[in-house]
Amino acid sequence: MHLYILRRLLIAIPTLIGVTLLIFAAMRVLPGDPFATIEGESIGTIQLTPEQIAKARASLGLDRPYHVQYLAWIGDVLKGNLGTSFWRGEPLSELILRRAPITIQIALMAVLLSWIIGLPVGMLSATRRNTWLDYLSRTFVTLFQAIPSFFLGMLVILIGILYFSWRPSLTIVYFWDDPYKNLEMTIGPAMALGLGLGAFIARIARSSTLEVLGEDYVRTARAKGLGDRWILIRHVLKNALLPVVTVSGLALGGLIGGSVAVERAFGVPGLGLALVMAVAERDWMLIQNLALFYGLVFVLVNLLVDVSYAWIDPRIRYG
Amino acid sequence: MSTDRHATRITRRLMLGQTLGFSAALLAACTQAPAPSKPAEPAKPAAPAPTTAPVPTAAPAAAKPTEAPPPASGQAAPAAAAPAKPAEAPKPAEAAKPTAAPAQAAAKPGAPGVLRSTDPNPKRGGKATFAFSVTTNHFDIHQAGGPAAVLWHTYNNLVRLDPTDGLKTIIPDLAESYEISGNGTIYTFKLRQGVKWHDGTDFTADDILATFNRIIKPPDGMVSAFKPRFGALKSVEAPDKMTVKMTLTEPRAYFLELLTTESGMVYSKKSLDENNQDLRKVIAPGTGAYILKEHKVGERWLLEKNPNYWDKELPYIDSLEFIHAPQWSDRGTAILSNQADISWNVSKETYEEGQKRGNEIGTFMVPGAGAYQIYFNCAKKPFDDARVRRACHLALSRQDLFEAFKTQEPLNYTRYMSHGFEFAMSPDDVLKQPGYRADKKEDIEQAKKLLAEAGLADGLKNVVILTASVGPHAQTLTPATQAILKQNLGVESTIKAVERAVLNDELRGGQWDLSLNTIGMPLYDPTLGWIDYFQTGAANNLGKYSNPKFDEMLKQLDSEQDPSKRKTMFREMEDFLDQESPWMTIGFTSHLHMWKKYLKGMPFERVRLSWGKTETMWVDK
Repeated sequence: MHLYILRRLLIAIPTLIGVTLLIFAAMRVLPGDPFATIEGESIGTIQLTPEQIAKARASLGLDRPYHVQYLAWIGDVLKGNLGTSFWRGEPLSELILRRAPITIQIALMAVLLSWIIGLPVGMLSATRRNTWLDYLSRTFVTLFQAIPSFFLGMLVILIGILYFSWRPSLTIVYFWDDPYKNLEMTIGPAMALGLGLGAFIARIARSSTLEVLGEDYVRTARAKGLGDRWILIRHVLKNALLPVVTVSGLALGGLIGGSVAVERAFGVPGLGLALVMAVAERDWMLIQNLALFYGLVFVLVNLLVDVSYAWIDPRIRYG
Repeated sequence: MSTDRHATRITRRLMLGQTLGFSAALLAACTQAPAPSKPAEPAKPAAPAPTTAPVPTAAPAAAKPTEAPPPASGQAAPAAAAPAKPAEAPKPAEAAKPTAAPAQAAAKPGAPGVLRSTDPNPKRGGKATFAFSVTTNHFDIHQAGGPAAVLWHTYNNLVRLDPTDGLKTIIPDLAESYEISGNGTIYTFKLRQGVKWHDGTDFTADDILATFNRIIKPPDGMVSAFKPRFGALKSVEAPDKMTVKMTLTEPRAYFLELLTTESGMVYSKKSLDENNQDLRKVIAPGTGAYILKEHKVGERWLLEKNPNYWDKELPYIDSLEFIHAPQWSDRGTAILSNQADISWNVSKETYEEGQKRGNEIGTFMVPGAGAYQIYFNCAKKPFDDARVRRACHLALSRQDLFEAFKTQEPLNYTRYMSHGFEFAMSPDDVLKQPGYRADKKEDIEQAKKLLAEAGLADGLKNVVILTASVGPHAQTLTPATQAILKQNLGVESTIKAVERAVLNDELRGGQWDLSLNTIGMPLYDPTLGWIDYFQTGAANNLGKYSNPKFDEMLKQLDSEQDPSKRKTMFREMEDFLDQESPWMTIGFTSHLHMWKKYLKGMPFERVRLSWGKTETMWVDK
């Protein structure tokens, strides 16, 4: 197992190098650079001449050849230095560390919520296949899968403001500082993300439960007189869990890296909003480091998912 | 490795899906605007002129002040310190009084520039929270950084607009008094004694010299964003340690007003020297009533009271918090949910909700200095012909555009200057002008005649309308313009939507005919703005409009000081612009102020936009 993990970690290195190359190239290929934001935002107020732009670019080292810029960045990362914002000069590690707990918490809560909703609904739907309960649950599953999470977010805010004069906090409150305010801030986004994911989990849980219910060992269990509930909990659940774990793990990575729309809808200052801000400001250094961070999260979550297979299903062995 | 086949299949598929999803989200973010664009956001356009006032608009009843501030208290500064009557709701200012500022001792109630609460018995302490966009690319305001609306609380100018009279009057700030020479070219400022920078050093004339010389003679590598505004400033000298003399090449009627904006904010010589004249990565100490305590990027700023502020009486509030709320609706909901106490511009729907809660929330609509407008590419056929441009101007229905935009932002019937400027034509009169009036019959007939004269009787075809890819104006006004010009004049056009970051390059590239955009006037007095937008070869003259006659008119306007002559000139020049139509004005905007009524000490019903300093504000709770 240890060798397997080590091998996976080594394989992750070229993956991450690929991520850095892609994001570095993407930033240079996409139109606009840090100065374009000044120009674009200031039409009518401040207009820089080409000479002024060239001077300012040079002052930030943006006139250096691309390979020099790339190697300088990678060199800094390897030294454990995520660098500083192109413009403001604040350390990016500070910004990422401040915001990451909120984004990760929202993602974890969303996954937890999706399990709480999706697993029972999916299993119930499978065990009551083709009954009105199955049809009802499938209807809701389809509905929640179809509703975009940011739309749910907007609904939550609208109802909160109009009827309760409430909206989630616009500034970061950590759980360990004020649990109530923290939950107030994170529960909305977690619900908006978790309901859609829960619907997806319900679908996966239903199909994998149906598959497991047809297995020989379930028939054997029934034959030896075990009750349906016991069979479901003892034999079906654990075996049906494998695809659910796979989906959840990948979803977790996706939620950490892709909660931009929901964070924006709720105004939650997490990593998603930081990315939007960085892109808007063309703060390439922040974008590059966030992409690298997300890449790292994906790699680690995938590794955790694969390792968890062995724990869930003892038949799986790594060597 | 052996594993479950089903799980493996899902893993690969989902891995691909998630990766693509993330990439799509990132790319989508890349194509988004930094924030919903609004003209005249205060971080960039200057705080405007001292001689303006809201003009009645077609806006709803919300434009009226919801509550006139109560009379000044016994503790308030005597009339000399607060020359306007804060008890009144804003009304057109008679005129700025920039030259009547005799020298007096600093920080004495009644001395020029010494401010006090406009409400009786001000309370000390507490915190006030503002909600608006508080991000910035960097911190050097004179290099187009910011956010001025936050940092301004920590700095001062030589002169400022009076927050206790709704920003009608120019009053001394770091200057204790000033004199303007008879020909209007020499400004002499006597500096306030006893002012210290936050790092403890003394404020002197050297700081003024360092600040303004950096603007007008920028060192290598510095982008002096405001240099064009100070084009007439020939020299800055210090006859002694506490006197500054600014000499202009020609008189400028708006010069003092320009000094009240973020362009005139003063940095310390020490900070500039220590940082090699570059403050982009440094939040340099100021002289203001508040000191920076904490900054969390893209989240919040916290300022604390400066215990050594030159006016020992101020500020009343201990700390100011600024939370990042880039969306208009987030700002409004922050107030409605008690997370913020005030915002200088909220969304229409939250503003209307605030009006319903009038017992606890104040609302007021303030004339803006920004507008939506449609450039013509005057360097390209057929729009190099003024008749073709005027035909479009006549055919464009402002009423229909306002209807299309009514859920977004308040627009006003204006020509080429803000309705907040004292010499602006009233909306009623604007609506009598060809092109602006509601009844389009005559205008459309005239427009068709003009096109025929220009040899385009068959109509305009293959017109390219360039616009940003996001933003309410791009998504609403652009297609509406396309439809109106098609309906009224048979113009066949296509919309070319590009990312905001490359819009300027596209505009410079010239492969377009019309471009719907936003502008922000540096001042409410449009002189500087017009020079920048309409003068031959000017940096912001993106449509490459050129008319020697108008250039000459601009030159005369720029150096004219007589208000009555200026008023006549403004009117003649607007008539000229309507004939020439270098762009089609859709309308200048208004901003929607919303605040908790327990905030006292100054009127929030202002005659102009300025998101800056609030030393006399206090919290009554």
